[in-house]
Amino acid sequence: MAEITFSKKSLERYEWLLTRYPSKEAVLLPALHLAEEEFENIGVKEMKYVADLIGIPPARVYGVLTFYTHFRRAGCGKYHIQVCSTLSCALRGSHEVYQRISERLGIEAGETTPCGRFTLSKVECLGSCDTAPMLQMNDDYHEGLDLELVDQLIEQWRAELPEGGSS
Amino acid sequence: MSEHATTVTWTLNGKQVESPPGLTIMEAAKLHDLEIPNFCYHPGLSIAGNCRICFVESNRSPKPVISCSERIAEGLEIQTHSEMALEARNSVMEFQLINHPLDCPVCDKAGECVLQDHSYTHGPDRSRFEENKTIRHTKKLGSTISIWGNRCIVCTRCVRFCDEITGTGELCVVERGDRSVVDVFPGLPIENSLAGNVIDICPVGALIGEDFKFEARIWDMKKTSSVCAGCSRGCNIEVQSLDGFAKRIVARENPEVNEWWICDRGRYDYRYLLAADRVTDASAGGEPIDSDTADSSLNDLVSENGGIVGILVDPMMTCEELHLVNRLSSTLSDCQVAAWSTADGEAESFPNGFTISSDLHPNRAGVGAIIGKDAFSTVAKGLRRSLDAGDIDLLIVFAGFPHPDLEKKWIESIGKAKVRIVFSLQSGSWCEGADLLLPSTAPLEKEGSYLNQDGRLQRVRTLIAAGQQPFPSELVRLQALLTHLGERPRSVSSSGVFRELASSVEAFSDQSHSTLGESGCVLSSGKSAVGSMGGDA
Amino acid sequence: MAFKKVLTRHVGKKDCHTLKFYKKQGGYAQAEDAVKNQDPDALIDLVKASNLRGRGGAGFPTGVKWAFVPKHTDKAKYLVVNADESEPGTFKDRVLMEKNPHLLLDGIIICSKAVGIHHAYIYIRGEFVFAYRRLLEAVEEAYSDGLLGKGIFGSNFDLDVTLHRGAGAYICGEETGMLTSLEGKRGEPKLKPPFPAVEGVFGCPTVVNNVETLANLPYILEIGADAYKKIGPEKCPGPKLFCVSGHVENPGTFELPMGVNLLELINKHAGGVWKGRSLKAVIPGGSSAHVLHADECDVAMDIESLDEAGSMLGSAGIIVMDDSTCMVDALLNIMRFYHHESCGQCTPCREGTGWLEKLVHRIASGGGRHEDLQLIQDVCDRMVGKTICALADAAAFPAESIVKKFPEDFLHAIEQGGSPASRNRSRAAVGGGTDV
Repeated sequence: MAEITFSKKSLERYEWLLTRYPSKEAVLLPALHLAEEEFENIGVKEMKYVADLIGIPPARVYGVLTFYTHFRRAGCGKYHIQVCSTLSCALRGSHEVYQRISERLGIEAGETTPCGRFTLSKVECLGSCDTAPMLQMNDDYHEGLDLELVDQLIEQWRAELPEGGSS
Repeated sequence: MSEHATTVTWTLNGKQVESPPGLTIMEAAKLHDLEIPNFCYHPGLSIAGNCRICFVESNRSPKPVISCSERIAEGLEIQTHSEMALEARNSVMEFQLINHPLDCPVCDKAGECVLQDHSYTHGPDRSRFEENKTIRHTKKLGSTISIWGNRCIVCTRCVRFCDEITGTGELCVVERGDRSVVDVFPGLPIENSLAGNVIDICPVGALIGEDFKFEARIWDMKKTSSVCAGCSRGCNIEVQSLDGFAKRIVARENPEVNEWWICDRGRYDYRYLLAADRVTDASAGGEPIDSDTADSSLNDLVSENGGIVGILVDPMMTCEELHLVNRLSSTLSDCQVAAWSTADGEAESFPNGFTISSDLHPNRAGVGAIIGKDAFSTVAKGLRRSLDAGDIDLLIVFAGFPHPDLEKKWIESIGKAKVRIVFSLQSGSWCEGADLLLPSTAPLEKEGSYLNQDGRLQRVRTLIAAGQQPFPSELVRLQALLTHLGERPRSVSSSGVFRELASSVEAFSDQSHSTLGESGCVLSSGKSAVGSMGGDA
Repeated sequence: MAFKKVLTRHVGKKDCHTLKFYKKQGGYAQAEDAVKNQDPDALIDLVKASNLRGRGGAGFPTGVKWAFVPKHTDKAKYLVVNADESEPGTFKDRVLMEKNPHLLLDGIIICSKAVGIHHAYIYIRGEFVFAYRRLLEAVEEAYSDGLLGKGIFGSNFDLDVTLHRGAGAYICGEETGMLTSLEGKRGEPKLKPPFPAVEGVFGCPTVVNNVETLANLPYILEIGADAYKKIGPEKCPGPKLFCVSGHVENPGTFELPMGVNLLELINKHAGGVWKGRSLKAVIPGGSSAHVLHADECDVAMDIESLDEAGSMLGSAGIIVMDDSTCMVDALLNIMRFYHHESCGQCTPCREGTGWLEKLVHRIASGGGRHEDLQLIQDVCDRMVGKTICALADAAAFPAESIVKKFPEDFLHAIEQGGSPASRNRSRAAVGGGTDV
């Protein structure tokens, strides 16, 4: 297993975080967010790294990571498209949005394109019900969607991430 | 109620009762002989309150309350069998069973499964759940433990055990909701020295010992309360056997010794009982002889010997056997009794205070108290010197070690006795050239008592049914020898031998097998016997 | 007196999220006064007297909650701000955090002074990356301006604020689930007692307040308890953010006095039911609330009135459904949510949420039977009030109320081979996207 480590900047951030909580265990969630920024996806070696960094059993990290659905787990594509499917979005056509993306990318929810660029998920309420239907792509919300906007977004993402052009 | 009140008056099922303050309803009810159903509660672990099966009705709440975490208070009125309490517990049982595979016929836990028990008392007789069940993983969590995820009720006893008792934290619950199940971190199996306890405390058939998987049905097995012979701590165990064969060893609660736990060595180390190199038949000069011939040979070799006798005892012997050795020694005109033992193991201690001793012998303290505190040191040195000088005419060696890691020098010295009788559990260099070799009983096959490192005397019991012994035990053979020597009229049981011991050794004077009960007694002078013992020669 | 917006008055204006803008509007004046001049007990009394009720969903009186915290303790005391806005249909705190973050900090300072807290954590849901960044900027601005840190406003009162991101778990919006999560664990709610005010995060006395609750504090200090109590019903007063989503022309967050009429809110402020259709059902307080039938919607939006109407104000997340909505599909969608979000700790919730989703899914797919409706009710009865937190109740309330109030949709699905969406295989309607 290749050695991984936080950058100097992340390590500084981590050290700062330690000063903000009365227990080292409490740094776990912020450290996992840092790991996500640093390593993109969090798999076995990333969890192990975080566990060793904090000094807690790796199983603790594993249990915590899998409790929360927002972390990008191992195998997640570069662009993670999360279509909100809860009631308010569903009432305003989230399923059509999902279906359009699914057709365009050729994958179903929970799948990643063979090129590794896109992962598609259906997720629960993202707290943007007034702009339904909406989706989250990595950090960004895309709201008030219709099928035309969805097509544009996919074109835009494809242009940003040329096939085979990124690692 | 005064600030210093020593009891709380409350009402349990309509009856006013008093309990010490600070207890939970469940604990207090137990003191009044009422067991409230539970899954996630374990007296040795923190309160999780997640299974909800311990619901009772309280006059202080419109909703049922969980008795594992709710505490008793002055004026509290608790109903454990009211409509509300029963409905609440029946609800929990119905929910527990919807995704459960109901595979009791092939489940190793069946017969001691808390889920099964409660489902008889609280469960519906049929399921209203007709949907597809949630599937969770079945896999090995370590070399000795596997999880049958579909049976897991996520009570987290096992996770809390690894967090709170061993501090090793190998287990976690992964995922959430009805997908959650116990797991280990990929590549980091549960391998700590107390790991097997998670199998004991799993209230359902989720955590299964690989060692016991499909080995026996619980109800077919004979259960023998005994004491572990793995180290000098003397953890209380229950040996479960079928047709005289040990199938499984589980922890037996003793708050004074091991609480609810035993180590994995104590749990799994019984395969030597059936090991290929076990001495099962007597032999003379290397030639097999039958049991009766062996008995008369023993009698003859001892009674016909008029010279200097040495006896080497081992600290796997019970107090009763040691007492008989003492008796034998005193009938012989020139006899010295020394003791030997195997090399130390590794000591280990855990955050909750549980320790495994480096002394791998259950009765070193017993040897000290009965044979003498110098048996391992100066007496042993003296015996060895005599052996090396060729002065010993007859040597009787006891080598009941399951894992004989014995000093080479000792073995050489043993070989120098003119006549040698060996009682041995396993064949080995110390048996070679013996004039008479007799099979030795293993700790799990002995009736008697052991004195642990803290001066606690505890009963050990044989898993072998009366009349089923494949060969006479040391207890029997030594008594027969004493009878032959005219020392006593007849053989008695181990309890009878203990009575003799109690009357001849001060430290044991107040005791009998019945006073030891299930959890033993600390001998008043036991500690001093332990404390002043010297090291091995 | 005409209602004046307090919380969102400047939303939409340029740079409304900045410290400069906020201070220009008189921001932090109340916090400064509280820190420098006010007695903590007097502040608690004031908030008690204002009848401010928590805006997170439970509606507990804020001042009373503060008063539970032991005054004299050797332990640190903490404020944990509940910014884990996750109740379906709710998006009000996000507006405040993105557009008016200093108002929240203003309120945090006041609460901290009142209770004697020197460290506040803002637990913000992980998905709100933009709001997180805005808050981070605001906190940094406040630190550089001496509003946070050592000796704030030149007083000897220290206050640290730390942002803490969640990571996708509805249950962490539950008070004690949030505290467990903040401690770096799986966000499983804690057994009570002990209550957070006595033993909360890190084993210390803790106040947990919602973003909107805290955002009300500067205004209470500004106008006083009596004037505040006059906004809306006296028992449950104040300016309130109402979130309207679903089948309306103009979904959004609306700041109105507590107690506004639900129909007025839908028809006047949210532009009415969309596409000229008529109203079928409304969930008034986030998806955990009992659903209201169209003819029950002439109701005031405050805690007591909705309680009387058999529902709850909850988080004031109003989800409107028009007459084309199949309530079987709507319920399936809601049940999928709770099944997905149950932490799995307590047996009735872990098993019950999944059972309900599977039951409703079977009905929606055409495998339903008449007795299933009673079974749904039974399962709900067996879940309610039997768990550590209220998630099981939150799943049961919509289930029992939707089945009870819209039996015709269920009977139709049972008798006609499924919900319209599933029959047409268009999978276009509400619950059509369900993966089971």
